[in-house]
Amino acid sequence: MKPGENPFGDLLQDYIVECLPLAEQVGDAFVELERRWRDGEPGEDLLASVKGRLHTIKGNSGMMGLTPARDVAHALEDACGFLGRAPESRGEGAAALLVAGGGLLVDLIGTASPDADGGPASDFVERVRKYLGLAPGAAAESDRRQGERRSRPRAGDGGAASNVVRIDFRRLDALLEVLGEGLIQHSALVDVYRRLMRRMGACEELGELDQAVLSLQKTLTRLESTLMETRLLPVSTVFGRFPRMVRDVAHAEGKKVRLEVTGGDTSLDKAVLDRLSEPLLHLLSNAVAHGLELPEDRVKAGKPPEGLLRLQAAAVSGRVAIRVSDDGRGLDEAAIRAKAEALGMDTRAADTAQLHGLVFVAGLSTADRVTTLSGRGMGLDVAADVIHALGGTIEVESRPGKGTAFTLSLPVTLAIVRSLIVEVDRERFAVPLSHVAETVRAEPEAIRQINNQGVTQWRGDLIHVADAGAVLGTREPSGAQRPFYVVMTAGAKRRGLLVDRLIGHQDIVVKGLDPALGRPAVVSGTTILGDGQVACILDVVRILDGAAHAN
Amino acid sequence: MPTDERMVDPLLGFADALPAAAAADARGPAPMLHLLTFALDREEFGIPVTQVREVIRVNGITRVPQVPAHVRGVTNLRGRILAIVEIRTRLGLTEAVVTPASRIVVVEVRGRALGLLVDRVSQVTKVPAESVAPPPEEVVTAETDFLTGVARWDSRLIMLLDLDKVLLVN
Amino acid sequence: MPESFLVIDDSKLLHQMYRLIFSQGDLAGSTVHYALDGREGYGLLAAHPDLTLVLLDLNMPGMNGLEVLARREAERLHPHVPIALVTTESSEDDEARGRAVGAWDYLRKPFQPSDIQRLVRGAREQRRSRGAA
Repeated sequence: MKPGENPFGDLLQDYIVECLPLAEQVGDAFVELERRWRDGEPGEDLLASVKGRLHTIKGNSGMMGLTPARDVAHALEDACGFLGRAPESRGEGAAALLVAGGGLLVDLIGTASPDADGGPASDFVERVRKYLGLAPGAAAESDRRQGERRSRPRAGDGGAASNVVRIDFRRLDALLEVLGEGLIQHSALVDVYRRLMRRMGACEELGELDQAVLSLQKTLTRLESTLMETRLLPVSTVFGRFPRMVRDVAHAEGKKVRLEVTGGDTSLDKAVLDRLSEPLLHLLSNAVAHGLELPEDRVKAGKPPEGLLRLQAAAVSGRVAIRVSDDGRGLDEAAIRAKAEALGMDTRAADTAQLHGLVFVAGLSTADRVTTLSGRGMGLDVAADVIHALGGTIEVESRPGKGTAFTLSLPVTLAIVRSLIVEVDRERFAVPLSHVAETVRAEPEAIRQINNQGVTQWRGDLIHVADAGAVLGTREPSGAQRPFYVVMTAGAKRRGLLVDRLIGHQDIVVKGLDPALGRPAVVSGTTILGDGQVACILDVVRILDGAAHAN
Repeated sequence: MPTDERMVDPLLGFADALPAAAAADARGPAPMLHLLTFALDREEFGIPVTQVREVIRVNGITRVPQVPAHVRGVTNLRGRILAIVEIRTRLGLTEAVVTPASRIVVVEVRGRALGLLVDRVSQVTKVPAESVAPPPEEVVTAETDFLTGVARWDSRLIMLLDLDKVLLVN
Repeated sequence: MPESFLVIDDSKLLHQMYRLIFSQGDLAGSTVHYALDGREGYGLLAAHPDLTLVLLDLNMPGMNGLEVLARREAERLHPHVPIALVTTESSEDDEARGRAVGAWDYLRKPFQPSDIQRLVRGAREQRRSRGAA
């Protein structure tokens, strides 16, 4: 479309009437963001609000053939998109860029004409490209899409063709959703097969159906693992920004710190990784701010003035272990005790490990609560919650004067979890198989009551057994003992849970908990079963924790 | 089995075919309010049609342990998990008994979708704005806190719910 | 028989552009309904089973184009009415997503009057071959 030949040329005034106020709002928002970022506030809502406006301006300018305005709007859209994903880049430089762009956009629209000089616009677009190119891991929205389109023909080119394609992670999410539906449908097939079997009894056709459904399941499983692999990223993509942040905190606190990172090539699902970076950052900042002593104090204690902070990642039997450790002063047990007593807890009987574990309790960790760039409050309790929500565990060890170590254990992937479906008082629940050691038929005499708690022998150990109806608050707690129990495990803890029926194993797609549901302590998510009904996913870690505290 | 049976009442599935007309009607010389009305026991309640996304039949509500009071559970709405609010208990009544006439009114409040479990849903009703009065003082129940007003129209008494207040459970 | 169309787009400027396009050539004289948001647009779609074509913007605040399509699909509302999804940029995955929820065709901005005319011709063909209701 050449300028002057635009079919909508007569609508120039309408264009200005619609887009100039939008551009002015965007410009104002950028100025406000500059102020907010200076004050350390994330400005998430403002960023979100400008995106829609920029998109409209971009589209309308394109329709009018006003290329400079369209390009500037597009570049700003990309910049905002990047800053939305990378909160740590929200600073002076970024703000100055946005404010400049906003001003330019207002000018271009206000004086819109098909013959406008494209110079300032292309300069600005270049500036944004450079800015995005410098930042690690950044890729402009449009470049990513163009990258996809270009990479396809290139792959068939021969010559210097690369085997690597760039792909928007959301596509993988979408694929995973489709796979999830496939799994639900597979479960539905199994369900119908069983019902047919009951109604008609065995026959040749049913046998073939069974084989076919089994093959389908194997294929889906293979598809799932392949898909999961595409979502894996090395933890270094998140660890990469830590050295700089640790340096900043150390500087602010007047401490000398060396950060050693190992195992950066350990892989984790991107979704897990994304949610892990804030808690990890908090652990590191905490270690610098509270764990490590000032250089002169360290020297007095016979340590080198520079504190050592270690961040280690490793794959350990199907999970990923991440350890954050420092050689500082260790946890202040007296302070923990004092805070706990102040909250009304009786800590006389607590052993060292239990005392240390208290740092994850809300109320005790409020002293070091900070607000992250994305506006969330972060403390050790929130960090622990995030890790639990990911299906992980966190533990702490400490020795006075020697240092503190936090150990996280995380599942490699998040979105699809193999689970055991159980039934309790006609309600169904999913128990992630990674937390199930065994399912056992409960012989009536095998479970004894000691101190009002059920206990039983399991593989040579004495474990507690609880009634699922009681734990989960089902409506009709029955008097009779239920016929099966599931041995749940989390870390070193084990506990049996009595249930009515073991329905079977299923790959379930984990759907989060609606905020309206609050934070139920025994449920970590929901899923949709083969018959379309919703089932809750048990939060085994929390259940075992709760039980431990109750003892 | 995942169902593709229509869970939407043909009568009410297009409840928001009216917002355009609703907006126009609200501005005219004799402004009208477009309400989605539903019944709890024998009382009739109304909410602006603009807050209603759709109305669906009840197809299984899964209880979730340890949720806040007045959350009945969750249901599957085309693959999404929808939280269901027990509006009856919120208004001081007993829990709902689900019958074939029961419905879930999917509303949108502050950008989030929630389902309200109600006994029966009536037609979309247009009432003149001037037929709305503040809640009468003699009817002092726990409910009046949640009302923006009461409409007397066509020999019906429709209590207009303030959804923000009702759903403040969150 | 006069044709009717539906435009669902949150930009008033776009409405003006469509008005211009629908006043020319053999589109002159047709009825065009306009909606500024997805919800209103859905209501208008529900109220008019004989539309020749719907032009639906993808990016709108509130109920966006995909959501309108998804709802239409789920409720099986007037499945014979062709809906074209209008977007500023699209990758194949956007297009696939659109088609998965029943978009009949795709239109990229910036578009010209001839693009709309082409869509309308296609939509009329579609109606003829389906034996419109």
